[in-house]
Formats: sequence, C-alpha cells, structure tokens
Amino acid sequence: MATVIEKRHIRADGPEKVTGSGRYTADLTLTGMLHAKFLYAGVGHARITRLDVSKARALPGVFSVITHEDVPDVQYGPFVQDRRLFCTDTVRFEADIVAAVAAVSAEVADRAIELIEVDYEPLPIVGDLEAALADGAPLVHAEWESYGAADELVRDRNDASYSSIVKGDAAAGLEAADIVVKERYYADSSHAAPIEPRAILAQWEGDKVTIWTTTQVPFDTRSGVATTLELPENKVRIIVPHLGGGFGGKCGFHFEAHIAVLARKTGRPVRLVFSRREEFIAPDRRREGMLIDIETGVMDDGSIVARRARVLIDNGAYTADSGFFSQLASMHIAGPYKIPNVDVSGRLVYTNHQPSGSVRAPTAPQACWAIEQHTDSLAKAVGMDPVEFRRKNVVQTGDVGPSGQTYDTIGLIDCVEQATALASYGQKLPADEAIGVAVGCWPSFPAAAGAYVKLNADGSGTIVTGAQECGTGAVMTLRQLAAEELGMEQEDFTLLYQDTDAGPYDMGATGSQTLFNNGRAVVDAAQQLAAQLRAMAADQMEAAPTDIVLADGHASVKGSPEKRVSIADLAAASHGGELLIARGSGIPSAAPVLEGSTCVGDVGVAAFTAPQFSCHAVHVKLDRDTGVTRVLGVYAAHDSGTIINMQGAEGQVEGGVMMGIGQALTEGTVYDDDASQRNAMMLEYKLQTVADAPPIKIAWIQNPAADGGPRGAKGLAEAPNVPTAAAIANALSQLTGRTIDRLPMTAERVWETMHA
Amino acid sequence: MNYTAALTLDEALAALAAGARPVAGGSDIVVGARQGKAQLPDSIVGIHRVAGLDTLTVGGDGLVLGALVNHATIETNEAIVRGWTALADGSALVGSPSTRNVGTIGGNVMNSSPAMDTGAPLIVLEAICELRSKSGSRTVPIDELWTGPGRSVATPDELLVSITVPALPAGSGSAYIRLEYRRAMEIAVVGAAAMVTLNGDGDVADCRIALTAVAPTIVRARRAEAALAGKAISEETLAAVAAAASEEATPISDLRGSDRYRRHTVGVMARRAVEGAARRARGEHLSVPLNRADGIGAPLAGGSA
Amino acid sequence: MSALEITLQVNGVPYPVAVDPSRSLVSVLRKELGLTGTKEGCDDCECGACMVLIDGQPVNSCSYLAAQVDGREVVTIEGLAGDGGLHPLQQNILEEGGVQCGFCTPGMLISATALLAANPTPSEEEIRIGLGGNLCRCTGYQKIVRAVKRTADELAKA
Repeated sequence: MATVIEKRHIRADGPEKVTGSGRYTADLTLTGMLHAKFLYAGVGHARITRLDVSKARALPGVFSVITHEDVPDVQYGPFVQDRRLFCTDTVRFEADIVAAVAAVSAEVADRAIELIEVDYEPLPIVGDLEAALADGAPLVHAEWESYGAADELVRDRNDASYSSIVKGDAAAGLEAADIVVKERYYADSSHAAPIEPRAILAQWEGDKVTIWTTTQVPFDTRSGVATTLELPENKVRIIVPHLGGGFGGKCGFHFEAHIAVLARKTGRPVRLVFSRREEFIAPDRRREGMLIDIETGVMDDGSIVARRARVLIDNGAYTADSGFFSQLASMHIAGPYKIPNVDVSGRLVYTNHQPSGSVRAPTAPQACWAIEQHTDSLAKAVGMDPVEFRRKNVVQTGDVGPSGQTYDTIGLIDCVEQATALASYGQKLPADEAIGVAVGCWPSFPAAAGAYVKLNADGSGTIVTGAQECGTGAVMTLRQLAAEELGMEQEDFTLLYQDTDAGPYDMGATGSQTLFNNGRAVVDAAQQLAAQLRAMAADQMEAAPTDIVLADGHASVKGSPEKRVSIADLAAASHGGELLIARGSGIPSAAPVLEGSTCVGDVGVAAFTAPQFSCHAVHVKLDRDTGVTRVLGVYAAHDSGTIINMQGAEGQVEGGVMMGIGQALTEGTVYDDDASQRNAMMLEYKLQTVADAPPIKIAWIQNPAADGGPRGAKGLAEAPNVPTAAAIANALSQLTGRTIDRLPMTAERVWETMHA
Repeated sequence: MNYTAALTLDEALAALAAGARPVAGGSDIVVGARQGKAQLPDSIVGIHRVAGLDTLTVGGDGLVLGALVNHATIETNEAIVRGWTALADGSALVGSPSTRNVGTIGGNVMNSSPAMDTGAPLIVLEAICELRSKSGSRTVPIDELWTGPGRSVATPDELLVSITVPALPAGSGSAYIRLEYRRAMEIAVVGAAAMVTLNGDGDVADCRIALTAVAPTIVRARRAEAALAGKAISEETLAAVAAAASEEATPISDLRGSDRYRRHTVGVMARRAVEGAARRARGEHLSVPLNRADGIGAPLAGGSA
Repeated sequence: MSALEITLQVNGVPYPVAVDPSRSLVSVLRKELGLTGTKEGCDDCECGACMVLIDGQPVNSCSYLAAQVDGREVVTIEGLAGDGGLHPLQQNILEEGGVQCGFCTPGMLISATALLAANPTPSEEEIRIGLGGNLCRCTGYQKIVRAVKRTADELAKA
C-alpha cells in the first residue's frame, strides 16, 4: 500500500518568496562591483578576420575587455569537447561570444561593446537538417574528428551522435503487415523560458573564486569553471541564491567562467544580468527541432507488427548535454507499445542554430506529438477507436518494450482508463470540439547524491544537501522525508542547500531526479541518525534499540508509551559526547536489463529505470474560420510511483501541462535564413497566460516502483510535459481530418492544414 | 536626457515647441527604447499631470475624450459601452490591466500603429482629433490622421488634446474584434471594426467598416461597406462583406501571420464585427470586449478553481 | 544628462533621490532604494514580474519613468503586508501551493491586490483577465487562481 501524505505544509522558502525578501542572483550586489556585457557575433556562420578591442579598452569606465586570448585554450563539453569560452577564428551561431567587457556600469559596458571592431567573412549557413547530412555539405565543425568525445558516441561530420535501436526484423515485419502507414513530421525548436533571466556574480578571495549564479546544476557548473580555467574544484565555490525557474534552460555550464575571468582580471566583483533577448538566444539550452520519418505496419486486428523510423535532431552549433538525444528520441519514437520488430535511429545534426540542450523532457514532447498522431493514424487505418487501439497495444506489466526491457509493475493501461474516464471520452460533443488522447513515457535517472542530517543541541535539525531547488519544491520536500524517519515535524528542520562548499555532490535540478536520488540520500542519513537516537534512548530506558519507536518528537519503548524521552533531550545529551550527525548517499537504482535488441551509440537511456507513464486526454475547441485552437480541459493520469508531496506533485502536472499547451500552440522559434532568431522576445514568443489556462484534472496511479526512489517514488517534473501537445494534435486531427505535421500547431498552420 | 513635468497645457505646448516629446504613460516610448527600436528622445515632457486632459464628457457633441483618458476608463465607462461599444471593445483588448491603466487614448492614437486596437473603432465611429500647438489648434478626422506606421499628419509641436466621437443614430451598434493567439497580452494579428445602423425593416441603412493590421495604416473598407449597405444581414451579405474586406486588404507577411492568412482572416473578422454590431444595433447584449463575448474567446462555462 | 531631484513615496516611506530622467522606476526601486522584491523578467511589459502599484493602480515598473512617479504613492511587494505577518493573498498563495520558483510571485500578488481592490468579488474569468499580464512558467496558474478566489471569499465573509 502506498504511503500518501496528504497533509499540506507551507514550503520552507515560501514566506521569503511571497514577501519579496528572498534574494535571487540579480538582486545581489557587492562593494566595488562591476558590470559585465558580452559581444555576440550577430552572424550565424563566419570566419573572424579582424578583432580589435582597443577602442573599447580605452573607454573611460571600462576595466577589462577579454577575448579568447585571455583564457586558457580549453575545449569543453559533456559529450563532445567542441566548444571554447570565446570564438577563436570561427563563429558558429549568432550568440557565439566574441568578447566580454567589465565596466563601471551596465551602460558603459554597453558602449564599450559597441566600440569593439570585428570583421567577418561569411561562411555558408547550415540550417536544414537533411541538407546538413548530404555529401559535401558545409561542416559546422571542420575539425570534428580531432575533438575529444565520449567513447559511446558514433560521430560523422555534421552528425554528432548516431544511435539506433534494432529488435527483430522490421523490414520483414513491414512486408508482412496488412497495412503500413508512413508519415513525416517537423517540430520547430522552442525555449525553456524561465521568467528569471540568468545572472552571475563572481568574486575572488585569494586564489579561490565564489560564484553566485542562476544554475540548476551547481556541481556541473563548478566542474565547468574548474575545467575551462584549469583550477581544482575546491578553488571554485558555486552558490545559487533563489532560482527563478529553469525547466532545463539553466542546466549545464554556461557563462560562469567568463565572469570569473573578468573578476580576476579586474580584482573586483563582477556581475552579469541577462536581458530577455539574451536569455532567448545565448544559452546552449534550446528545445531541439526535429524531423521525424516514421512507418509502422499493423495487422487488420489492430496489432502492431513493425516500426521503422528515423529522427533528425537539430543539435545547433555545439553539443551541450544533447549527446544522448539520439537514443532518447529513438526510444520515444519506438513508443510505449508492444512492437516485435523495431528499427529506429536518431542523428544529432550540427547546424548554425543556437545549441540544443535538455529542456524539460528533452526530445519527448516532440517525438510523442509525432508518434501519437501516428498511432491515431494507425487506429484509423484499421478502423479502430484510438483509445481501443491503445488498450490493445500499450505495454503492460510483464511486457517487453521496444528496446528489450521487461516492465515491472507499471500503470500505463490504468493511465489510459483513468484519463479517458476523467474526460468522459466518448461523450457527444459540438462539431467544433474534440477530445484527443495520447500516452507518454519518461525515465527516472539514477545518480549519485549526498546529504548530511544533523540534530542541534535543542533538538532542531539541519539538512545539508547538495540538491538544487528550482521551484518544484523537491528540496523542500526533503524535510518531510527526514522528519518521517526521525519522528519529528518537517518544520523542525532547516535546509542548507545550493552551495557546493557545503553539500555533498548532487546532479542538480535536472532529470526529475532530486527526490528520486537526494531523497534516498536524506533517508539514508536520517535512518542512521534514527539508529543513533534509538541506541541512546535504549541505553537510557534500558530497552532493546529495536524496541524504540521514534514519533511525535520522542523516543518511546514499544508497548510502553509512558516510557519515553524527548528527541531534544537526546540531542542535548549528545553534545556531551558523540554528536548526532549522519551522512547519506545510498546506492542508486540499477538500470534494467535489455534483452533481444541491439543498440548502437548506446549512452544508457535505452533502458528506462523506474519508468513513468502517463496519458493525457485533452478537450479542444477549434475556430474553423481562423485555425485558432482553445484548450477547454486537460485530464492527466500519471504513474509516477508513490507520491510523496501531493500538492507539489499536482503543481508539476499543472505546470507541465501548461508548458505543453504552449509548445503545442504558440511556442516555436522562428529562424531567418541567416540562422538568427526572429522572435526572441516575449511578445512574439508566446507563453500561455492565466487567461488561456483550462481546468486541469489529475489522476494518480500509485504503484510503488521496486527500482524507485524513497517510498517507491519515481521522478515527476518532466513527465507531465510529454503527452499534452500530442493529445491536442489528436483532437485537432479529428476536427480537421488530417494530421497536423508542424509543431507548434499555430493557428495559421492549422488553417493551412484545413485548406491544403 | 532632459525631462520636465508640465502641469498646464500651455507648459506642455511650450515644451513641445522647444523640441520635447510628450509622454503620458510612456508604454510605447520606454518599451521601444528598451527593445532598441529607438533611443529615448533627448527631451521629454511628462504630460500625465496636465490639468483638463483626463476628462471624459458625454453631451450634445457626443463623446469627448481628453487625450489622457486611459483604456481602463474607456472599457468600463457605461456611456461608452452603451453608445460607442466598438471603442470599449478595443480598449478592453489592449495588453493587460496594467497597460490599460497606464495607456492613454492619446498615446495609443498618436503611436500611429496599424495594429492598434482603438484605431479601427475610432474610424468607424468617425472620430475627430483636436491637435493643438503654441500657435493654434486644428481638427483632423481620424481617418486622415495617420500616414504610415508610426507616422501622422501631426507636426512635432502639436499635441493631440482631445478626440470627439459623435453620437450614433438610433438603431445603431458598433463592434471591434481581432484575431489573437492568446486571451491576454496580445496584439492584433488582424482586426476589424464595424458600425451598423439598421432601418425599421432591420436592413442596413448605413455601415462603416475599418480594418486593423492589413495595411500601413488602419484603413476604411469601403467595398465591404458597399456589399452591406441597403441590404439585409444575411449569410450572403456577410459572405460578401468578408470577401470584399479580404480583397481590400494589403497585408504583409511577418511573425504574426502571412499575407495570405491575414487576407483571409481579416475577412472573417470583418464579418464577425458586422454581426456583432448588428446584434448590438438590435439591442442584444454582447459583453465587452466582443472577443470574449462568445466563440473561441468566450469564458469557460465551468471553473477550475 | 542632468539628474532630477524627485521624491518617491514607497510603501509609505518618502525617498528623496536624484535620478537620471531616462531611468525606469524598477531600476530606481532595485538599485537606489534596495527594494529588490520587484523583479525584472522581460524588459518590455510582457511578463509582469515588475508590477507595482502607483496610486493604487497596477503599473509595469520596467517601462515607467521614475521621473513620472515624483510625489506619487508606490506600493511594492515589500509593502503589501502591514507590520509583520502576511497579507491574506500571501498566506493563501502559500497554503494553496501557488508558489514554485517565486519569481513571478511579487508581480502576481501586486496584480491580485489591484484586482481585489477594484473588484472584491471577482468571478474566475475576472481573476484570469485581472492577472492576464503576469506570466508564470511553473504553476500552470491553477493554484494561483484558487488562492485569489479563496482570498476574495474570505475577505467577503470578514
């Protein structure tokens, strides 16, 4: 039976967030602080033939102007070391950094940027994914072969990562199928668009730098600074004040080293604050565009026999954490279906666009949008209701997935039943309304994680964790886990987090992993503390430690509740001897075994640990005269294992669904032919507003996962973002009679689809 | 940059004569500067406190709006909602509550954007602008005010001080509707305003139609009007209005829509504006703005909260 | 560039300041006055994180000249509650779970305050239009709307 904690607590960081007293990075200033600005290339692909910063350096109020000549010549990147802090001789996208300035004010820094002289010799733009792979195509990285890269990657010229999943004989399966449906889909790239633009503040004390920054991954950032500036990691301290949202956009290492160098050169603290336009164009974290070709064979009875698919992914100019996208996209294109014969592959294609990187469930919403429309096409081809078709084909407990993973207890079919029930699927609707249904999946990511838990002399507790809070409340919920283990209240604990010198390693607010992994670490530490407390109490009350129960702030003897001692008294006593301090890490869940498939370019995501499943049913209304789509209601069923913090979990689904609606209808990057973004502003890159938000109803399928995190929990933050756009597409397909093959499905595209 | 705050109209006009640009709420000028479209002018005169420019009067001349009357006032003023409904429809769609509070009718009109939401309503309502400078005053019919995107016939030393909107004949109604991709924080992709006067038989005695964001300025759609004048409101005449409006439009392609899509949808908007105006002319209550009255932009029946 | 001597009345406190006339209100609030609760998210009136009240009305302070606020009453998030404690909107948005990253929260609460002042018993649609200028990327808005509705209901009963 799942442990469900319904009690709603106010999040620990809440009061300072609602009163405006909580500090975010851009709110910080230090005495003597200078202001940084970057010079971006402003061209998509070019050779730098002249760079002259002398006029900028001469401007009064300018303290430093730096270029590639002022930093170690280090290439970096988590999968392919294809990037440097500054352009040397080649520009590969419009926001490649040519120079950086520190000046007495942001205005002076801006003027200095304007005084830097650069001459560019244009190179051919690589923008189209298929053209980029053609023989003789211009290369984004002419020297790709010389780059260091992860051993697993299969690379070839503009293809930074090829990956395939093969099972059975897809060609024979398609040959034998009664019906084969073949389709092509294009997804534009989009943005994480957190409301807080990034900011960085760096200050040196001796040979050690402290960097306050808006990162989701403090330890990854520390490693990036240490690598590029050739420093040991203990000379770099990353502190994250409150973080104003991330959604993946603030994962990875970005601009901290640039600011650290400016601070070192000037001997002053230096701060960078991004404009909204910079937040759109500069980070290597764009949701990747995709071109998806897919064909599937079905039998007349509605069973799927074979699937062949190819996904081309727009990597952009550099390989950020996108190295695993080819495999991840392949998995999503294979889909959570029983398919005996599979041949799917992905290629990560360099272009002169902004680099792609993990934005909330990378590759999945786009792939799901394509594959779930395709699933509806299959159902239509065999004359089945789309929900009935899914009932027949989705993976269930004990089934083997496309990559050869045998699923332990999973609730996908329950998700389908509950989402469609919530939506009253099958109800009679007006002619301009429809309910679309889509299923999705997403892995949990096992990783190392650490935390300390300690009790102070008055019995209050402190959790010191490496985990990073980006708003989800996952770090806040660590208090709940510690309190449950120790028989205390979560309000008894404070948190020290987001400081790499304080907490042990954690992967950060990425991969929906905080509760999944750091929750395990906190439970581990708290259990050790609990054992310490039991031993002390057993000693005092002359009982066996195994008979000591920790509850309500007391240690009592099982069966004799009158025999008890307060945890505060035990904590006070500990200060005469062995302190109540524990460290926890625990062992990450093991990856499932794959059988019966071959994976080329395997970076480890063909096996989905503690896989999450979901089904969204979305009620949509279409204005046929204009193509404008309105979402009237979203019905979301999720199997994310045990839910530990129900209010926080609802917040993840509600936020993920709204982001999904935006991706479906209004959010897409528009590129010029010269590879520059045309809509790098909030007015033209349209996030959904509160006036657009439909009611969102949620059903939870709580199967504790054997390979899950604490209490059998799975990850949660990314999964709700996966199937919303797909479900909207399926509703629109019903209304228009055609698939909508471009994402986002803007009003104009829907209208064009109807009039094609 | 030099800044002065004017307390009287004479002070404001003197500042303009000396080369200052007027700022009321500042939304367009400050946002424009922050987006790098145009630097802030060297000299600015704040006119937000100028006495007498924020008055709204309804009388024999019709409606007289001081230039400083804001959109929040217009969208909620009962007389405007009743008698000049298209204008209320337009003001209610501007930006957000904040922009409707800060944004003034004078600033909106003089920004001379072909996408402004009050422009088409003012054209079909035959508004007259009063421009004043140190050397005198003149009136300009609103459909002669704009000469291109961001351009008008006003000279730099002239200030728009008021807009007069005549009362509509009995049996009239007006409406403005726009194509939008979100229900808040939007800008018109295309839009249309209509004023319809019905005769005793329910046929159209008089009508005016204007189109938003399909030409360098907001434009009158006279062929669409001709398709309707003297006829009954029917599926056939509405289709003719839509077709004529689409034909008259000369839209460009940009981020918000292609010329082909704009040309089609402005016809749809023209038809919907006429329908809305005619229903109002018949005394039917359609809430303001028309975009939220019914159809795709209407409030959801149930709530989620 | 001549500095302009003005007095900003913020959360009941007069602040005499000399500012360049081109400065926006938000930059003066955050830099000269140290009131960093008002956030900057977009630079162009599109996100609402910088919302403050001027004479009781909501204003995007990123696009409003500080010079034009001379002598007027400004309320920022720091001044929303009286002495100590939390404003009912602050309490309810916490209890309903309407705060995640918190970056939009100050602006959202300012808009909600203006909405309830103008319309103490808003319908859900009126709440959605009233908060329409405030983008939130985390919550999907559901719990924020609920918190505002609950506050209105509580204040109506009180």
